[in-house]
Amino acid sequence: MSIRAELKYKIMKDYGAPVLMAFQNVRRRKPRPTPAAFGSPLDSNQRLKEILSRHYFLSRYAPGVKKVAWVTSGAPVELLRAFDFYTIYPENHSALVGAKKQGADYCGIAEGDGFSQDLCSYARIDLGHMLSGKTPAGKLPKPDLLFCSNNICQTVLYWYKAIAHELDIPLIHFDAPFVTTEQTEADINYMAQQLQDMIPILERVSGRVFYLNIFEEILERSMETSKTWGAILDAMKAQPAPMTIFDAFGHLAPIVSLRGLPVAQDYYHILMDEINTRVTQGIGAISDERYRLIWDNIAIWYKVRFLATFFAERKMNFVTATYTNAWAETTGYLDVKDPWRSMAKTYGQIILNNNLKHRLDLMKGMIKTYAVDGMVMHSTRSCKPYSVGQFDLRKAITADLDLPAVILDADIADERVWSEQQIQTRLEAFCETLEGSKYG
Amino acid sequence: MADLYFSGVDVGSLSTDVSIIDHGGKVLSEIVIPTGVNGSEAAEQAFNAALKLADLTRDSITGITATGYGRASVAFATGKTTEISCHGVGAHHLFPKTGTVIDIGGQDSKVIQIDRQGRMLDFTMNDKCAAGTGRFLEVMANRLDLNLDELSSPLNIEGDSAPISSTCTVFAESEVISLLAKNTPRKEIVHGLQRSIVNRIWSMVTSIGIEGEVTLTGGVAHNKGLVALLEEKLGLTLNIPENPQTVGALGGAHIARRTYQNSLEADSI
Amino acid sequence: MLRFSKHEITINEIIKNMNIPDRSEYLKGLAQTGQKIMGVLPALYPRELLWAFDIHAAEIWDPPGEILHANAHLQTTICPVVKKSLEFILKEPQTINAGYLFPHTCDSLQNLGTQVKDLIGVSLPIYTFYNPKGRFNNTTIKYYQDILINFQSILEASHGPLEPEKLKAACVLSHKIDTYLMVIQQARMTDHLSLSNHEYFTLMRAQEYLLPQDYLSLLEQVNILEKPAEFSRARLMVSGILPPLPEILVFLDELGVSIVADDLLAVSRRIPKFAMDPPGSPLDYLTDRFFVLPPCSTRGGDLDERVHYLSNRLKESKAHGLLFDMVKFCEPELFDHRLLVKTFRERKTPVLTLETELEDHISGQDKTRIEAFTERLFEIVST
Ligand code: SF4
Ligand code: SF4
Repeated sequence: MSIRAELKYKIMKDYGAPVLMAFQNVRRRKPRPTPAAFGSPLDSNQRLKEILSRHYFLSRYAPGVKKVAWVTSGAPVELLRAFDFYTIYPENHSALVGAKKQGADYCGIAEGDGFSQDLCSYARIDLGHMLSGKTPAGKLPKPDLLFCSNNICQTVLYWYKAIAHELDIPLIHFDAPFVTTEQTEADINYMAQQLQDMIPILERVSGRVFYLNIFEEILERSMETSKTWGAILDAMKAQPAPMTIFDAFGHLAPIVSLRGLPVAQDYYHILMDEINTRVTQGIGAISDERYRLIWDNIAIWYKVRFLATFFAERKMNFVTATYTNAWAETTGYLDVKDPWRSMAKTYGQIILNNNLKHRLDLMKGMIKTYAVDGMVMHSTRSCKPYSVGQFDLRKAITADLDLPAVILDADIADERVWSEQQIQTRLEAFCETLEGSKYG
Repeated sequence: MADLYFSGVDVGSLSTDVSIIDHGGKVLSEIVIPTGVNGSEAAEQAFNAALKLADLTRDSITGITATGYGRASVAFATGKTTEISCHGVGAHHLFPKTGTVIDIGGQDSKVIQIDRQGRMLDFTMNDKCAAGTGRFLEVMANRLDLNLDELSSPLNIEGDSAPISSTCTVFAESEVISLLAKNTPRKEIVHGLQRSIVNRIWSMVTSIGIEGEVTLTGGVAHNKGLVALLEEKLGLTLNIPENPQTVGALGGAHIARRTYQNSLEADSI
Repeated sequence: MLRFSKHEITINEIIKNMNIPDRSEYLKGLAQTGQKIMGVLPALYPRELLWAFDIHAAEIWDPPGEILHANAHLQTTICPVVKKSLEFILKEPQTINAGYLFPHTCDSLQNLGTQVKDLIGVSLPIYTFYNPKGRFNNTTIKYYQDILINFQSILEASHGPLEPEKLKAACVLSHKIDTYLMVIQQARMTDHLSLSNHEYFTLMRAQEYLLPQDYLSLLEQVNILEKPAEFSRARLMVSGILPPLPEILVFLDELGVSIVADDLLAVSRRIPKFAMDPPGSPLDYLTDRFFVLPPCSTRGGDLDERVHYLSNRLKESKAHGLLFDMVKFCEPELFDHRLLVKTFRERKTPVLTLETELEDHISGQDKTRIEAFTERLFEIVST
């Protein structure tokens, strides 16, 4: 590790980043006017932007100071933090590209290189980024290590294998057996053992020694952060809900990609406070919340604004989502006193690694506790584990709970998969049913 | 040596093309007619027309290669070869430095890599969807109430183009409808459509890679706007044959010629 | 229809001549005898354990027939293997009487298993079997043994206690079948087998539904030539999930192209890479067998290993080209595909990729692709 790189990183962290953030604040002084359908935006948005810009900005000074790891959203990152890796979340980055409506460009690069158009667009965007170095975040460091877990999908394993091969770097894979009924002892032991097997490899790649107490501290922090996130989502039970799920899609970024770091922990306290104040004062995210909705599946990143406005104008607010819930749902299993096995339980049972009976019960529970009136399911071309089974989930839910529901065919980040007319028609029909069902 | 003649008959989905050459490779006649519903009749007709134009009789043709979708239906052919090999050979004879052939046909588009002898090294074809083919343009022309010539009007590359992101014909069509509903100028829509085809072709090209000069064949090569966009995207100048539609037939004729020469060599051994 | 009748006759004749019974007839007959039959989805599972419980494993890969009802349960962007399997299950076929087994192969099959079990609901029990993913080490081996033991007790719950002798016998039978298959594979690569493409794959695929004893006796009848047959044909290796459609196989036969080796999930990737010792302890045998299978995308295997394996096979079989027959929307294969194509293209091996939705007939476009590719192979053969 060079002293100069370290110094530079430190300077950038302590001085460069704050200056940049201040500069950005100046540049952004004139925010986009909020349409009348929405209440005033959360103050925390500003802080969120700062944190994320800083994260991406600092990453370019990381090489030479910290080892860089690319990590999947469901991987047990706490272990990596114990070795002080600078972590980048390609899924998060791909979502960012998607939100900027540049998904098709990046996908095109990967497709031109031989990756099929039928693959997950997060993967294609990331591979496009890897092949071209392009990114809307300025510049991203090359990874020294890849860390993935198939607890969200097998796709990430295939995808990270491709990167590992291209860049010739080590890939650590955390194999999380799918839970068909419930986790077995064997599953838990297997995962716990894998985590411990990783330590020597991580020590070698990072050049640092593993200290259990540091790891436990990180685990503790991560746990606390997830719980705060869970509490924030819980606060959405209030009527009117203090934020929309589309806000939450944004506020999700730190829990996904900065989990286990103080910055994320602090951030959610700020957000929590603001949300609580809103709840006490009865302030809603949209001006007039008449209908409450649940969202299923990942966001349609290139249409978040379109959808948010469409629903807000009709006095409809998304108050819960299976997606945002995923980073709070299984935290209860974490136990600092039994780190390995409890991580196996936490990471092995997250929604996408769990059977559809579990998902159905979970969704029904959410619909009840959040007083939901209707359901919007995004059937995403990219994601098999999230989408296969949705038709029957919908059937079961609408039959049991007599809840209007609509399925939107789209994609998470490839804006070419979008037919505005078709979607608009479907959405309008859905709204008509919803309005009819509640007051008809 | 008595005069020897060779012919290629390319029965495509939209047009049937015939080319007749002499033993030195000189082109004597070229014919393009619509295929219609009956491929073998079209082949018959086009071949007769080509003979007439070259002032030759049927018996004077030594070898005839059938190619194209309907290649199996050409009863009078002496051999058959896929249009992929034929386009490679045809382009090679027109532009000997060709390393890559882009053929945008009615049903499908292909990118073909050839060696210095015109032999095909590798190729790729569009998938089942018609986006990126002549058919795509035709569907869109209908939608826009334009004829194909209007669709091909040379455009200013810098001009505005309406965003058409869909890669699927059906989706693209609905995008065009909504653009029309928004009163987007047709010129911009046309531009957007061309761009979408060019992107499609470009990704096929990158999947194979560019070698040597690039020759564009197929009827779409007449579309000046599209050619300009494609050249811009690829960053090079394309070879455009005088008769881009008959390159396959020409290649077929050359293959017939080569087969004949090979058989002579084999005999003389 | 008429256009293809020639092929259909050929296909039926081949099956007759080789005495391979038709899949559904055979299974119907079996079911009538009271045989327990479990429908097994792709791809890797401990068949020996099922056999030890006297359960016949009838594999479901690409059942014939149109996809209708499955469309109400699955999106358009799901692979045809999953869709066809679901269509089959929804018909509640009489031949399947002991339940369905969903091995963990890919995201789509993973979800289909729970979808059928927890949401759609069928009258038969649904079983699952997890196949570990990624690189393998001692931790994986230990876990695989645990899975086997778990699976055994799950089967015991509904089929009575396992008789150890039966499991032993099942392993011996499985070992024999493997050994035959390896010999036949070798014979195919070295032209010691005078079977057409279509015959060869009909033979290989018969193991998906024949009782192991029946399959073994079929394999015993296969005539392995003493001297290599004279082949002046173009030689091809195929990679993918399933063998190409029968129509393509026949078409290749007509064109004079012989498939001499494969890297297919349904065929070669389920035959051990090298000869195994005869089984001692069944548990060890089953574990070892899983870990000596060729590298496979669905197990998340290493890419270098896969490239290496493929190039060796290409060399051994002296194939002139490589055909990738990709199932549409099959993520595991499509990710690896890019590197494989790149690598072999760089090595100047002719490569052709087809995409299949397991339709009944081959499109004109694909015919052209195959023919053009063949033209190229013959250029190589002749030089
Ligand atoms: S979108 Fe789905 S398939 Fe893609 S990385 Fe995320 S979980 Fe995996
Ligand atoms: S073809 Fe591919 S995607 Fe389909 S079931 Fe098989 S492995 Fe899964």
